[in-house]
Amino acid sequence: MNPLIFTTILMTVLLGTMIVMMSSHWLMIWIGFEMNLLAIIPILMKKYNPRTMEASTKYFLTQATASMLLMMAIIINLMHSGQWTITKVFNPTASIIMTSALAMKLGLTPFHFWVPEVTQGISLTSGLILLTWQKLAPMSILYQISPSINLNILLTMAVLSILVGGWGGLNQTQLRKIMAYSSIAHMGWMTAVLVYNPTLTMLNMLIYIMMTLTMFMLFIHSSSTTMLSLSHTWNKTPLTTTLILITLLSMGGLPPLSGFMPKWMIIQELTKNSSIILPTLMAIMALLNLYFYMRLTYSTSLTMFPSTNNMKMKWQFETKRITLLPPLIVMSSLLLPLTPMLSILD
Amino acid sequence: MMTYIVFILSVIFVVSFVGFSSKPSPIYGGLVLVVSGGVGCGIIMNFGGSFLGLMVFLIYLGGMLVVFGYTTAMATEQYPEVWVSNTTVMGVFLLGLLMEVMLVLYVLKSEEVGVVFKFSGVGDWAIYDTGDSGVFSEEIMGVAALYSYGAWVVIVTGWSLLVGVLVILEVTRGD
Repeated sequence: MNPLIFTTILMTVLLGTMIVMMSSHWLMIWIGFEMNLLAIIPILMKKYNPRTMEASTKYFLTQATASMLLMMAIIINLMHSGQWTITKVFNPTASIIMTSALAMKLGLTPFHFWVPEVTQGISLTSGLILLTWQKLAPMSILYQISPSINLNILLTMAVLSILVGGWGGLNQTQLRKIMAYSSIAHMGWMTAVLVYNPTLTMLNMLIYIMMTLTMFMLFIHSSSTTMLSLSHTWNKTPLTTTLILITLLSMGGLPPLSGFMPKWMIIQELTKNSSIILPTLMAIMALLNLYFYMRLTYSTSLTMFPSTNNMKMKWQFETKRITLLPPLIVMSSLLLPLTPMLSILD
Repeated sequence: MMTYIVFILSVIFVVSFVGFSSKPSPIYGGLVLVVSGGVGCGIIMNFGGSFLGLMVFLIYLGGMLVVFGYTTAMATEQYPEVWVSNTTVMGVFLLGLLMEVMLVLYVLKSEEVGVVFKFSGVGDWAIYDTGDSGVFSEEIMGVAALYSYGAWVVIVTGWSLLVGVLVILEVTRGD
């Protein structure tokens, strides 16, 4: 793609999310979502083969439906309150429809079916943008309407998302689908605590984005899209196997690493609000996630499977440029001691 | 009948939307889009917005739909699907018509309809002239406000249109 056009389109994706996050008028928010959707389609379709076309079409259809539902919720809110500002949603019907629309945009269950298929059909860099940047805009709207969200619906969607994200990723060998199911599960964790303490949603979003960025950068660096090809990284860059190990365990939520911080805070916040069964269930279902991360680390860093000597060489093109990998790795593994700094967030 | 003209026009609006949602060939979809555009213009005009209604005719029908019609005419197949040619299309069309007819009968018969918001019968669709609207009409002041207070909206929509063109060119470029 012509670099000037590509820069313009990428800037428009950024502009769309910025407009969503900073507007106080519902119509501008809707315009921001549509601008974001329109501009990301050619980014998803960077290579012109039928898989990317199919993935972009699926993405476009689901997100456009979600935008239409959002518009309907906005209009119902307008009819009942007579104003367009985003303070709270004044009508339960509008709130439910809006929550469903934003859940469709995020990829929460029962609207999660597009996430693995779209992520699998596009290139690794496009998948990176899809799973990290595109989650910012709907989450910011959920944050802003969080006082008026129906708790039952949101918690049901969150728990089911954690379940589906864990169970669905169990039989996968394609890395992009694994990251997609991991995204579904993390979105479930984020929305579970949204009504109780939205700050923790933002914390979880921050740490999730850092960890997902790190994982995708490591995959891009070793040009691997399957578990088999990832298991050959010991041959190409032995150091990245250790980094993959640390980052994957951090994503699984294991204690001395920073991925533990959001889960710990979320469970603490939920138990403070006297719900015991829910965080227990969530923690148990996070084990499913941990299982397939562990399987990835097992085949990548911990074992070398017996193979013939010419299978051991990994074919590589020129080394890809990875941006900011060392700071990302440090941040996605060593942030846990900074937990008391949460008191400055509000 | 003239008091209920908005209701009748909105029923025709919904029926033409059902007409293209049942997915005949795009030529016929464009045909009912023309009808729905004209009817939508009528609805807007009944609320006093003569400028916006004429804008719908000129820009939407006369600009965008003409271009759409020409491009579909270039890309059409030998036997395009019409509503009665395919059983599925006809079935969906009749289903949509049936639901609309049931809704209309529900509105006409019962005193109050409370699906998502309440409105009490057909009388709610009639337009009353409630007092004087001042020297200037409201919708012209709305258009003027778009270019003064709503300058940010103009910038954003203008940028979206530009990026829309770039995106379409990129997507249809192929290799």
